[in-house]
Amino acid sequence: MPALRVDELTKSYGQTLALDTLSFEVHEGEVFGFLGPNGAGKSTTINVVLDFIRPTAGRVEVLGLDAQAHSREIRSRTGVLPEGYQVYDRLTARQHLEFAIESKGSDDEPEALLERVGLTDAIDRKAGGYSKGMAQRLMLAMALVGEPDLLILDEPSTGLDPNGAREMREIVREENARGATVFFSSHSMEQVEAVCDRVGILQDGQMVAVDSVEGLRDSIGGGTSLRVTVDRIDDDALQAVRSLPTVSNVAAEDRDPPTITAQVDGSKTTVLAELEDHGVEVRDFSTTEASLEDVFQSYTTGAEVTAR
Amino acid sequence: MSAETGTDASASRTGTTSSTSSVNPDSVRAVARKDFRDSIRSWVFWGLSIFFFMLLVATTGIISYFGDDIAAQGQTTTALVGLVQGITSLVIPLIALILGWKSIAGERESGSLKILLSLPHSRKDVLLGKLIGRSTVLSVSLIAGFVLAAIVVAALLGSFSVADYAGLLAVSILYGVAYTSLAVSLSSVTRSTTIAGAAMFGLFVLFYIIWDTVIVALSMLMNAGYLPQNETTAQATLLFNSLSLNSAYQNVLSLVTSMGETSPQTVALLEGMFGSVPFYLQDWFSFIILLAWIVVPIAIALYRFDRVDL
Repeated sequence: MPALRVDELTKSYGQTLALDTLSFEVHEGEVFGFLGPNGAGKSTTINVVLDFIRPTAGRVEVLGLDAQAHSREIRSRTGVLPEGYQVYDRLTARQHLEFAIESKGSDDEPEALLERVGLTDAIDRKAGGYSKGMAQRLMLAMALVGEPDLLILDEPSTGLDPNGAREMREIVREENARGATVFFSSHSMEQVEAVCDRVGILQDGQMVAVDSVEGLRDSIGGGTSLRVTVDRIDDDALQAVRSLPTVSNVAAEDRDPPTITAQVDGSKTTVLAELEDHGVEVRDFSTTEASLEDVFQSYTTGAEVTAR
Repeated sequence: MSAETGTDASASRTGTTSSTSSVNPDSVRAVARKDFRDSIRSWVFWGLSIFFFMLLVATTGIISYFGDDIAAQGQTTTALVGLVQGITSLVIPLIALILGWKSIAGERESGSLKILLSLPHSRKDVLLGKLIGRSTVLSVSLIAGFVLAAIVVAALLGSFSVADYAGLLAVSILYGVAYTSLAVSLSSVTRSTTIAGAAMFGLFVLFYIIWDTVIVALSMLMNAGYLPQNETTAQATLLFNSLSLNSAYQNVLSLVTSMGETSPQTVALLEGMFGSVPFYLQDWFSFIILLAWIVVPIAIALYRFDRVDL
């Protein structure tokens, strides 16, 4: 049973189509990165999952339950860090957590949860005076109440400094290790690639790619950029390398030392072996991988990806 | 505690069928308690309590200073009820509308509603919790003001009727809850606090200007001969008048306390006109009207709030 199943989901606001027959699944126990530029429809999808808004067509199942008919049970087993929320100014962090604990009927301790997110200092301060990062930590602590089966984190890195973002990823890993499925939306690949098992890229209300991080890298065809330092440039050797099916953009720079560069999708040792078979001595080589950020850019802007 | 008791068994395939949420008492209590804690700035609470205290003490002072005749008739508490309700009938609506106008629209506008609804509360739980939370702020400050003032009032008034005093308090609480219900309900039908604020103003205008104007206009039209001056028109006018929340407050007060009982002459007059006193002019009916002003707005809001995109 998938933790989340989105099936032909469409949501339109008048003439505007926010989601267009969107379908995807999040497997139980995985960390799924839900990626897309701002306005792609990520929050709309999450709002349907939480029954904040109703689909125009299609349906969503969460933990095997219909998102509309069983919203209360779904939310009792789900921890949510929403996007675009505001904390209750006149309540302290402790009171926020007491409310979440009471609402979920769990027996968590506010202190322990706030310690996990690094907000112990502000426990009895009114949340009205919190910075965006502190509010985000508080909301993360509220999401953790009751050991949820599913964590839905909408842009969790918003307002966090790099250190806070790292701590947040650490908590995602801990929760996943405990057995929770994590559904994690972001507009930045950098935030998700380090923690996500699989990534889905949303663009204009449609899923343009769903794959593992490695799979996405491969699928883009940018592959690896190989740079080989050789003793001399040999035209026959170059020709042989060019004829390899997995190699493209082969270029030679006849300078000191002579260098050959190529885009390689398959094994780079094949390229090196081909050169040595033609009597070219390989002195050194280096590879650069296409970054996932480039992959993401290519999906969402249509730009060509080349490894740097 | 958050067991699923959803009523919509027919999970919608298309999403066009409306879903209705369930009500969970524990959830309602949690929301109400949080709302009470959050909406109450201590000065609001104490300010209101002191206001009601002062209102009662000042009115009592005036009665005991000037009201020798009233005292002689042993009607001091009745006079107090009459004077106080003249002020509370205006002030309680103002307080309730101010306490309630942002209750839902404000949370929707700021996004804090997402915090409430990310937790296992249904939309109905949230509305009911809000109504209870905000009503509690008003009710508790009324009770505090009345209880504190009771000692002074009892000492100053020659004949202190506990029943009348408690009756005034109880009916005022119901009146306040009715306006809170209107405020929370109106607040839930819009996502803008500006529109919610305008709606509160409109409500005030409705009950304090339009309702009376309609009655005056009806009488004038009848007198000028544009409307038939018969029993039906007269009945309709009187019925319309009795449906107003503010009339209901006064009428229920006269039911519960010894204030403003319909005089035997009026009863005789009405019986002469209609054969008997019409049901809607009897005090029990005004009690139903008062309760309806609590139940109907929130019922409509509960129905509608389940069906909107937040």
